[in-house]
Amino acid sequence: MTLLANFLAIAIVLNIIESAIPIIPVPGAKLGFANVVTLIIIYVYSFKDGFALTILRVLLVALLSGKLLGPIFYMSMSGAVIATLAMGLFQKLNYFGIIGVSILGSIFHCIGQIAAGIFVIGSIAVIAYLPVMLFLSIPAGVLTGIIAKRFLVIWQTWHNETA
Amino acid sequence: MDAKKSVQNKRDWILATLLFVLLGGLFIAFRLFAFADEASLAHVYYGNSDEPIVTIDFINYRVISNYDQNVPSEYDDIYPVINEGQQTITLLGDYEINGERQIVVIRYDYGRKSVEIIQEQSPNNICSREGESTGWPLICLPNRIRVEFETNDEDFTV
Repeated sequence: MTLLANFLAIAIVLNIIESAIPIIPVPGAKLGFANVVTLIIIYVYSFKDGFALTILRVLLVALLSGKLLGPIFYMSMSGAVIATLAMGLFQKLNYFGIIGVSILGSIFHCIGQIAAGIFVIGSIAVIAYLPVMLFLSIPAGVLTGIIAKRFLVIWQTWHNETA
Repeated sequence: MDAKKSVQNKRDWILATLLFVLLGGLFIAFRLFAFADEASLAHVYYGNSDEPIVTIDFINYRVISNYDQNVPSEYDDIYPVINEGQQTITLLGDYEINGERQIVVIRYDYGRKSVEIIQEQSPNNICSREGESTGWPLICLPNRIRVEFETNDEDFTV
């Protein structure tokens, strides 16, 4: 349980750092690096744990930033939830490796954010940013996938040593 | 187990490359061709409203204010504030600093038929980084303000 709490803390920090780096022109959109923790938890623990952790992470970051229920919150939550569901699904299907799952999670993260953005601002014009976000999400997904993969290797060795 | 992993690994990289090329192409095509036409009007929207709050007419060189913002009484001004001299439109955005909503200043240019958000408050001031636009929508999500362009698709037949 404390380990999960630690992961949550890491996820929160990643999320905050991510928000401070304006890569995407859409205000409030993020590349989803904090999802690396979600991805790891899904593989190491369970989908339910990953889902719970992700929701908690988004809520806590929103609380910490002082802006609960703003448009940025809806985009974050929407993206994170859809990404987590997608990653859980593809992990279960076991067709792709962790990098593939990460990429797909990244894509759905974007779709979720754009969908929420359209809803919040009430115009389909937000979809103008979908191509650039989707494109950037691929390297982001690959990167988080590689990090998660490395982590899993370390985790396995650590687990086998203490077992 | 390892054979399965390496098959998956291969699929991952095929997926990555495929998507990268596909989405990259989509992105470039979109960037080149979407919103490329010369604009005749620019509409400024606030909140969820489908009705633009201000319309900038590039053809007739005028700015039309369609309705006033519903602003709580603690704010003095009536928004939008249109300054024809400086060619700016000022609205009250949703983004709050210490509970106080912040203004968003939009500048327009009849000659270049462009609109730019020159002053606003948002995380990292990301809205004003979009720069000057002649067709691409300017979207400031934290302030719920957007600018969309309208092109004139009429045929000039008599």
